[in-house]
Amino acid sequence: MSGSASGPLGGVDALERALAAENAAIFGYGVAGAHLSGASRATAVQYWTGHRQARDTLTGMITARGGTPAAAAAYYRLPFAVNSAGAGMALAARLEDGVTAAYLDLVAVADVQLRTFGALAMQSAAGRAAYWRGATEPFPGLP
Amino acid sequence: MPTRRLLIGAVPLLFATAGCSSADLFAGPDPLHGPPSLAPETVVLSAAITAEERLVALYRSVLAGRAAGRTTTLLTSLLSQHEAHLTQLKARLVVPPGYHASPSASASASAGAASAVARLRAAEQASAAALTRQLTGVSPALAQLFASIAASDATHATALAAL
Repeated sequence: MSGSASGPLGGVDALERALAAENAAIFGYGVAGAHLSGASRATAVQYWTGHRQARDTLTGMITARGGTPAAAAAYYRLPFAVNSAGAGMALAARLEDGVTAAYLDLVAVADVQLRTFGALAMQSAAGRAAYWRGATEPFPGLP
Repeated sequence: MPTRRLLIGAVPLLFATAGCSSADLFAGPDPLHGPPSLAPETVVLSAAITAEERLVALYRSVLAGRAAGRTTTLLTSLLSQHEAHLTQLKARLVVPPGYHASPSASASASAGAASAVARLRAAEQASAAALTRQLTGVSPALAQLFASIAASDATHATALAAL
């Protein structure tokens, strides 16, 4: 078992990867939320707002390090068709898995503050994934 | 012609008069001063293994004698994930010859069911926090394993809070 297959990234590159995952989550929650209702929908809105805040935080961190944050894509291909509440929740779990894996790259950089930032973000994302999945995982983020 | 006994007896004298120590004669660690000190990463990893063993022991203690039910089902699942953590942590540990593994941890949780679950939850939170603090000074690969286990432990704490 190991982390990123491509080896450790630099700090800005890892932040860019996390930003890309957050942008994908923002788009995906828009799709998933459309099929949810009640408490699930409220939770989706809460998480969507959290991902927007994370996007803004990452954008600021990349800029502060001299990087240029990549803009979100206009459309993201979904991993499967979403046409029910169950599929919406499965998509939300998948999105959080992607976010967790992206932050795992931050944990491998030399900058200690970025490592801690990435680890804490992983804990949040893994918690959201567990909520949607209804179960915990032994190794969130690891392949 | 000196005898063999005389030659053997003269060896320490030769060392002493030449100001030599065994370290001057052997490349690498001095075998007369015990095994080399453990690498910092090995020390951190050993501590993480010990902490994980305590968690496993605590879960087993809480589960012992419990009747089947929703709580037991969850605790059994979480225990199996901690056992997986332990397996992965131990797989990364390379201890030089001459060192002994730490004794197996034990724990008891004889209090009531509610307080036992609260104790597990506190232990999960403490484990996640400790692993996050230990990300400095370890290799990228070990940092990722620690971070993943910390994330898992954080989700365990949330699941236990929902009981």
